[in-house]
Amino acid sequence: MNCPLRKEETAHILLDYSAGRLDSARGAVLERHMENCADCAAFRMEQAAVWNALDVWQPAPVSLDFNRRLWQRIDAAEAAPWYTRLVESLRFAQWKPVLPLTAAILLIAAGFLFDHPGGRAVVPTAPAATSVSVSEADQVEQTLDDIQLLHQFNAAAAPGNAKAISE
Amino acid sequence: MAQGVNTAMGASPAPDLDAQLMLRVRDGDEESFRVLLEKHRNPVVHFLYRMVQDEAVSEELSQEVFLRVYRSRGTYEPTAKFTTWLFLIATHLALNSLRDGRNERGQVRLDDDGDGDGPAREVADRKPSVEQQMVVQARLWEVREAIAMLPEKQRAAVLMHKYEEMEYSQIANVLACSESAVKSLLFRAYETLRARLAHMVTAGAR
Repeated sequence: MNCPLRKEETAHILLDYSAGRLDSARGAVLERHMENCADCAAFRMEQAAVWNALDVWQPAPVSLDFNRRLWQRIDAAEAAPWYTRLVESLRFAQWKPVLPLTAAILLIAAGFLFDHPGGRAVVPTAPAATSVSVSEADQVEQTLDDIQLLHQFNAAAAPGNAKAISE
Repeated sequence: MAQGVNTAMGASPAPDLDAQLMLRVRDGDEESFRVLLEKHRNPVVHFLYRMVQDEAVSEELSQEVFLRVYRSRGTYEPTAKFTTWLFLIATHLALNSLRDGRNERGQVRLDDDGDGDGPAREVADRKPSVEQQMVVQARLWEVREAIAMLPEKQRAAVLMHKYEEMEYSQIANVLACSESAVKSLLFRAYETLRARLAHMVTAGAR
């Protein structure tokens, strides 16, 4: 396979020749080339054989009532209400390939929300912060009471008052 | 969908005869649709049959093709050759059907000769011999298998190129790719066919 004509970019010339679709001028040039090019001559022979093999496959004749059935469908489709037409149009529509894409988008969105919970965490943290501040206030109030009690104790324990306390 | 794709294709310099007929259909001329149907019914059914390899499915899909053509008549614009549009619809339906696996059941295989349809198959007397008939059927089965094993796009390209004799530009429009991509598809497809049918090729060359 050394001839450049047999490469993917140019092989259509050989295919066209085998299919009888190459114009006579170019066909003549190619024939002269194939007289000296074993590669292209082999390609022509193989392609012609494939072409003949494909000719063997002739489909069965179309049903005799094809037209009648088609007109029945056309009449039914024309008379059908809008929602039936919609269902019919969806039956062969190209929406199925969208399903994996939709699933992928939903998956990515779910992953994003799972990975970035900040938006949702603000709400539950607020009451927790409030409860902490309440307990802190109690603690502060108790500390103040303790300090006041300590002041009273200190005042009572002062040297001038010690005797009075002992008496 | 059909009309949407139709308008998306590249403009051609002048409307072809089929497109002119379709324009008449758009104007309410049912007879022109009948003419188009008669002209293109067999190519469409045969193309679809070779694509899905099931007679019943291919006829159902063909009906859908012409039904869509008829229902799109009101918005039809001849932006491309009529046959390009027609085979675009047919190819889309065939590919959808293959992907849905709708043609898996009820497939008429050449190797299940003798099932049902007895009288229709009992025509061996007209054949030269049973042996020759078997050889022909075996070759046919191999060709069908070789085509069926091609990737969907390659298969569609080969069928349009070989049996419908469509130009590269038309096939490119139908398959929504460039002409060079079509040439590449065809090159690879025929290469595969040459390899798969090599023994037939050799036998034929002898």
